[in-house]
Amino acid sequence: MDPIQSALAQGQQSLSEYQSKELLRTYDIPVTREVLTEDVEAAIRAAREIGYPVALKACSPTLMHKSESGAIALNLKNEGDIRAAHDRISKALQSTRPAMLVQEMIFGQRELVIGLSRDPQFGPCVMLGLGGIMAEVLQDTVFRAAPFDLTEARDMVRELHSNAILGAFRGQQPADLDTLLRALIAVGRIGLEYEVINELDINPLIIDPAGRIVAVDALIVLGKDPIATGGKTA
Amino acid sequence: MIQSIMESPLYAIANPGSIAFFGASNNFSAMGTNILQSVQALGYSGRIYPVHPKEASVMGLSAYGDVADLPETPDLAFIVLPTDIVTRTLEACGRKGIHHAVIVSAGFNEVGGKGADLQKELMTVARRYNIRFTGPNCIGVVNPHWKLNATFLPYEARPGFIGIASQSGSFVTQMFNYLDRFGLGFSTGFSLGNEADIDLVDGLTYLGACPHTKVIALYVESIRRGRAFIEAARSVTPRKPVVAFYVGGSEAGKKACFSHTGALAGSDRLYDGIFRQSGIIRARSIEEMFDCCYALGASPPPRGNRIIIQTHSGGPGAAAADAGGRAGLVLQALGEETIQKLAPYVPHTGSIANPIDLTYTKNPLDYFHTIPDILLEDKEADALLVYFLASSGMVRRALEGLGVAKEEAGVEAEKIIAEQCKAVASLMEKHQKPLIGYSFLTRENPFIRGLQDLGVPVLGSPERAARAVGAMATYVQLREKIRESEKAAG
Repeated sequence: MDPIQSALAQGQQSLSEYQSKELLRTYDIPVTREVLTEDVEAAIRAAREIGYPVALKACSPTLMHKSESGAIALNLKNEGDIRAAHDRISKALQSTRPAMLVQEMIFGQRELVIGLSRDPQFGPCVMLGLGGIMAEVLQDTVFRAAPFDLTEARDMVRELHSNAILGAFRGQQPADLDTLLRALIAVGRIGLEYEVINELDINPLIIDPAGRIVAVDALIVLGKDPIATGGKTA
Repeated sequence: MIQSIMESPLYAIANPGSIAFFGASNNFSAMGTNILQSVQALGYSGRIYPVHPKEASVMGLSAYGDVADLPETPDLAFIVLPTDIVTRTLEACGRKGIHHAVIVSAGFNEVGGKGADLQKELMTVARRYNIRFTGPNCIGVVNPHWKLNATFLPYEARPGFIGIASQSGSFVTQMFNYLDRFGLGFSTGFSLGNEADIDLVDGLTYLGACPHTKVIALYVESIRRGRAFIEAARSVTPRKPVVAFYVGGSEAGKKACFSHTGALAGSDRLYDGIFRQSGIIRARSIEEMFDCCYALGASPPPRGNRIIIQTHSGGPGAAAADAGGRAGLVLQALGEETIQKLAPYVPHTGSIANPIDLTYTKNPLDYFHTIPDILLEDKEADALLVYFLASSGMVRRALEGLGVAKEEAGVEAEKIIAEQCKAVASLMEKHQKPLIGYSFLTRENPFIRGLQDLGVPVLGSPERAARAVGAMATYVQLREKIRESEKAAG
């Protein structure tokens, strides 16, 4: 089932990270390999399958600020790490069996943000921004109204002040620009095709030293009255 | 996109053959009277029919008690009446068969409450009678090429090449005098007011097709039809540059948002992106908007961003270089061939490291013709900025020194100046590259006036000239981008 339809059916106001990435995947946006688990044993099995190190994240449609609520544990190297982290997150959320996402660790110093917002005049607008801890200080962001094509997506990247990080940067490979451009276009298409999506946030989108880009976290927020506005419009 | 301005609802508004005029009287303080006087002052050659309930004649024109009594159906109704009788008047115009109007009267949406209801009624009448109109709450229209100035200020400039659509009330009229100070003028200008019917997108589309308009200025307060605006602009900008001035963010920015993106959206940066996507140059000030329009309208576009600066004073050269760098321009090192050709004209005190600082040239024609000719010839240079400092007093003094009689020296000096101006202007024609002048002198100086009147743009400071050339390079970049998109789309 379409993750948006199932979220609507459940009466959700937003999608969980897992659901959000399911949608991104259908638009060919590269996302982390991950497994949604119900308990610590399942999490350990998933970690073995994905390969250590992994990240463990509580996963729920009502959880919007995961790091602030202590719902994330990164770089877990073995079973012991997972058990401890699972315990810590459960306590932080005061929940006995929270659903948790076991996720491959993506290491990279270069972080971007891709987002979707709705403007009353211009409709769905796609944002590309510098990510990471300095994002809100530097506010290096670029916007385009959807739809737009590859040439426009390229110009969008050119307009980003810190676009030098996409080149060969501190001994790392240039970013996979083509995939990035297609991701920008795809986010615009999501905005056009799902009127019910109010905001979308891929944060961070990490560029690893080999130049591969991966959506590491994602959030989709639905409209105020999702049932009234309906699901997929196009 | 339209092929001809005749397809636009603004055609009859900017080029009416006849006008029914409501709200003018013989009372000189009335706004309507003022506007009618402006129309008469510019020598409008169409027919004007003042409609007035009491007067038999208005400003020397035969007046009519009722629009129904007019001997023909005018192309345009121009309405400057009290708010409460506007809708009724528009309806009478509709019954007469008039299909276009300018509604200057205020007191509609902009005041809210009852005004909003009145605007709805106005729209209902306009739709019923197929009337297209600008306003309400606008300041009129100006088309000097049609000798039409239907605004309350006298049109003091010449017919020019800058088209403007403005959402700020009387802003267009205030710029008449400002443009005249550069020897510039409007091709056509629309004040859009509340945009109840005709809006910014229509204005942009009209000016895009207008043959007198070489460059379009937009004064933007809010873009109501966002997607239509982007599409209209993208169909205009590959052929004609558009420069916009906009202040402020959008309403969306003020909403509470959950995501990181939401918090950053609706900012001024969104408009940066929208303008860039549209191929529009965004100016940071009104002054900059017209500087960019001046350079873009007067010159062919540059092929790239590499410039040469020619000066005979260090300061103005360095200032242009610095501002140019910040505007994305590159100071191009001179080619070997250029250096050789230039050598005989550069004094030992001069420098040929770009900026080319000639300090002092014995023969003024070297500075105004031979040297810029060589610099423009350089294949690696996309544009030339030239600092102009020319004192007619100096020319006269030199002539007197050579033994020319005082009374003749003045006439001779004028001739020499005219010759030098022509020499500069001929280079623009010859090289088809931007030659942008800058000076701290104004049009009061015969040399600056001569250059500007021959079509050489001369801007008011090194920084302003450099930013304008930067905008030209950006325009070419954006134009290429949109052309590439068009090609990819087939």
